[in-house]
Amino acid sequence: MLDLLPRLRRFAAGLAGNPADGDDLCQMSLERALANRAKWQEGTRLDSWMYRIMRNIWIDEGRAGSRRRQTFVAEEAGAGQGGEGAQEAAVELSYVDRAMQKLPDDQREAVLLVMVEGYAYKEAAEIVGCPVGTLNSRLVRGRDALMAMLGEAQ
Amino acid sequence: MTVTREELAAFADGELAGERAAQVAAAVAADPALADEVEAHRALRARLAEHYAPIAAGPVPDRLTAMLTQPQEAEVVDFAEAKERRAARRTIPRWGWIVGPALAASLALVLFLPGSGDDGAPYADPQLAAVLDSRLVAEQAPGADTRVLLSFRAQGGDVCRVFSGEGGGGIACRDQQGWRLEALGEGSAGGSTDYRMAGASDAALLARAQDMAQGPALDAAAEAEAKANGWR
Repeated sequence: MLDLLPRLRRFAAGLAGNPADGDDLCQMSLERALANRAKWQEGTRLDSWMYRIMRNIWIDEGRAGSRRRQTFVAEEAGAGQGGEGAQEAAVELSYVDRAMQKLPDDQREAVLLVMVEGYAYKEAAEIVGCPVGTLNSRLVRGRDALMAMLGEAQ
Repeated sequence: MTVTREELAAFADGELAGERAAQVAAAVAADPALADEVEAHRALRARLAEHYAPIAAGPVPDRLTAMLTQPQEAEVVDFAEAKERRAARRTIPRWGWIVGPALAASLALVLFLPGSGDDGAPYADPQLAAVLDSRLVAEQAPGADTRVLLSFRAQGGDVCRVFSGEGGGGIACRDQQGWRLEALGEGSAGGSTDYRMAGASDAALLARAQDMAQGPALDAAAEAEAKANGWR
């Protein structure tokens, strides 16, 4: 489980939009995993199980409050001004963050699981709990949206 | 042959296999637009991987690591069981049983005292004896079928142990022949949901044990020492 932590933090930061919220999500996921550890079946993949717990918490959280999302939009309104010279790299990075945040949850998690975490479609579909074909089409829609946004931004 | 966008992504991700992979590969080779799209897909994948890489490469905050390395956290199975453990820790070592006398009186009927005659004293069967021989109070799982509630030294000097389980509970004292059953009760199931039930019938056993004991219950170290000495 300790070995998994860096990857779980990465996935959490991708879902939540920034590392700080990601670590909070990570902590909640670990709490739930520890409380439910009896439900993990020996011989099945611990990483898939953990990812599933995390995305479930995130989906539940997302439904509970879209406040987070609004904060983000407000932040974005101020972006695009400045961003010269040394700041350029940081600004470029946050373009990716902002573009990811604009994706619907189901597309964002598909993109993260496959393109960042490197899961096969079948594994990613099992984590999300949807058919492989659905995962594939969410990935394509998410990818196309990202390309359009990042293309504009550059 | 038409290639869907989903197929093209799957191809770029190495998800297509066999004949279909070869067909798409041929189509991509023949059509620069498709080749561009595959290239764009892979470039995005690389960019995203690079973007998120620093988080996985960076140090994990202590608060997260600590959740996995502190054993008392990791041992918790679920809330109910954790609660039961806390309750067990609270009540069992506290030897002075506040409501002892009253409870013992009201629950005396639960107990019967087997083998008051010299010859008729029953002994624990091999299965129970094995549990009594091997299990330390501190080390057993909360959900074990038969739990040893505590160990004590009786006024005659024997080491005795109070046990409780679905098949019944009782007090067994170790002598030359084995585990002599001094008292039997209804016992209680080990599951956490039955804990309150367990409290009632176990209390009678504990009260009886209190009458028999010459001192406080053995703590973990004393119990381990008694075990090492064959419970004599």
